[in-house]
Amino acid sequence: MKTATLNKSDLGKCIDLLVQADLRVIAPRLQPRLDEDGPDAIDVLTFTEVDSGEGHQVGEGLLPLNGVKEFLFAKHEPLFAYEKRGKKIEIIPVHHEYPQTVIIGVRPCDAASIASLESVFSDANAGFEDPFFTERRSRTTFITYSCTAPDASCFCTSVNLSPDSAKGSDLHLTEIGDGRLHVEVISKAGEAVAKQLQDLLEGEGDQAAREKAGAEVSEKLTRIRDSAPIMDWLMDTANFDDEMWQRLGEKCIGCGACTFACPTCHCFDIVDENKGSKGYRVKFWDSCQFDHFTLHASGHNPRDWQYKRYRNRFNCKFKIYPEKFETPGCVGCGRCIRACPVNLDITEYMAEVAHKAANPSAMKADQDSE
Amino acid sequence: MIEEIRNQARQLLENGEVDVVIGYAEGSDPSRTTPIFVRKAEDVEKLIYDSRCINSLPIYLNKRHEYTRKGWKKSAIIGKGCDIRAIVQLIAENQLKRDEVYILGVPCEGVVSHPDKWDGSLHDGNRASKCTGCDVMTPHETDFFPGEKPEVDRSKPYEVTSPKVANLMELELDKRFAFWRTDFDRCFKCYACREVCPHCSCNVCITDETTPSWIDPAAHKKGIFSWHLTRAMHLVGRCTGCGECTRACPMDIQVDLFNQRMKEVVQESYSYKPGYSLEDKHPLITYKVDDREDFIK
Repeated sequence: MKTATLNKSDLGKCIDLLVQADLRVIAPRLQPRLDEDGPDAIDVLTFTEVDSGEGHQVGEGLLPLNGVKEFLFAKHEPLFAYEKRGKKIEIIPVHHEYPQTVIIGVRPCDAASIASLESVFSDANAGFEDPFFTERRSRTTFITYSCTAPDASCFCTSVNLSPDSAKGSDLHLTEIGDGRLHVEVISKAGEAVAKQLQDLLEGEGDQAAREKAGAEVSEKLTRIRDSAPIMDWLMDTANFDDEMWQRLGEKCIGCGACTFACPTCHCFDIVDENKGSKGYRVKFWDSCQFDHFTLHASGHNPRDWQYKRYRNRFNCKFKIYPEKFETPGCVGCGRCIRACPVNLDITEYMAEVAHKAANPSAMKADQDSE
Repeated sequence: MIEEIRNQARQLLENGEVDVVIGYAEGSDPSRTTPIFVRKAEDVEKLIYDSRCINSLPIYLNKRHEYTRKGWKKSAIIGKGCDIRAIVQLIAENQLKRDEVYILGVPCEGVVSHPDKWDGSLHDGNRASKCTGCDVMTPHETDFFPGEKPEVDRSKPYEVTSPKVANLMELELDKRFAFWRTDFDRCFKCYACREVCPHCSCNVCITDETTPSWIDPAAHKKGIFSWHLTRAMHLVGRCTGCGECTRACPMDIQVDLFNQRMKEVVQESYSYKPGYSLEDKHPLITYKVDDREDFIK
């Protein structure tokens, strides 16, 4: 693997070079904010399309609120247009642009989530492919950046990742001290980008320093759970009606913030946006946390209480996904924890399941005595 | 203070006067608290109250949510003044009966504007702007209150306390529109602002209606603007200003700025503040002969 070093202060220049090479560049940036806006105003860090390196936040802050999901799986997009002419309906294709894109400053958890989305949207086994996703995916290069300061909600090490993981990356950057970055070329796409940046890259990287830095950051994580027993426990159908689901999940208000903020959640809905006799068929994000998500036309709803909807979300992450696609459903970014207005915490479920898996008989006795 | 609340909660549960006590407990990290439903007297020790207790708990009393299906005939709820205003408004709108709820009022010193801003104490740099000039820090409508309730003058008109509303109002119309266009660009329509609102009580929200579809569900500009403006208009004269919609927004869009401005308009037009009277109906569903008419042209 090819390595190099880069000055952290040259990151802005990197963005400039990529922009000059006619690439669409997406980088973390702070939304404008005024101090006079008072104590309610907070810093808003998002991935945004940029036209220069000015004001970039690559390697700063922790996670942009939006993640990279929306640049591969659009928040909304027309599938086709239609027009009714007499008794005939004409289907009119919609032209989509798929510009060559580089997303820089992606954290390891977000980079790992791409494989999970890919397994749904381009499932070779099932012979299914979502062209919108795969077209974007094939034209997007990810420059990732190892974390330096995880926060209290981060739990990537609990789901077999790490703050310096290069999984899903094309070109991976890690701070190795003295304002230097260790650069690893991971893929061909990464090599192409490295070529654009070659004037800024120097010599060889420092693998030892990179590994040391990664290990130090891993130790900063405080939210550590054992995810190993979760899948087996969920596979046991008896646990589907465990008392835990209602106890932990009854405070959930079904807002869907966790699913929209989640880098691996991928559910979508399709509607016709009509205007007279013509319109568009539009695909847009949906959420399993909405009460009408599983509402049948008959009025029956198999997930009739909110806690059952959250049970579905947890099962999707830790059973359905890994079982069906062999990719992780959860990358431990902690966005769902940060976003939740009622502090419903997925890692509390993880801890509870691990505990129940380790003490099956004790739990059974507890329930019987109640 | 919390000891007295716990004792009262314990008694209520032991005597079977309420089925549940809705309150706050420690959250999963030190800057957060979480809603808790206490059903057993021995669990009252989990109840806490301090400036981190941001949540507006009356959402759990709103019949649109499923909580009443658990067989809660009567619920006790820990309420800071602004939450009790939400309860009062729910009662005034016939969404709740006064005898279905037992209000455990707490004295409040203000709450933190966002969990991320909690640094161990409450100060001018992190106190939510809604708390400035609050006249219900000693709550108005309670069934139990620890200690004496001092007399408070609550006749003052509503005033916007968020500097951002004033900053926005000073902008030219097109610049103000540009601000919202940029901010709404982040919206992905998760509807956290709706679900967290104690006053969103429709069984089927207008945005979920499909025949016809009034509001495009997709998160494009049209769908986003029509959703947020409809939400703001539906809350005119009803919003009690808990600010939960902004706090719940995972994309940190300050959607309550609309509501604050609307409250100002309602104050100017009808001298009305919601959430203070169990009987008064809000101005947009009532008609009085002396109502303002000068805006009809």
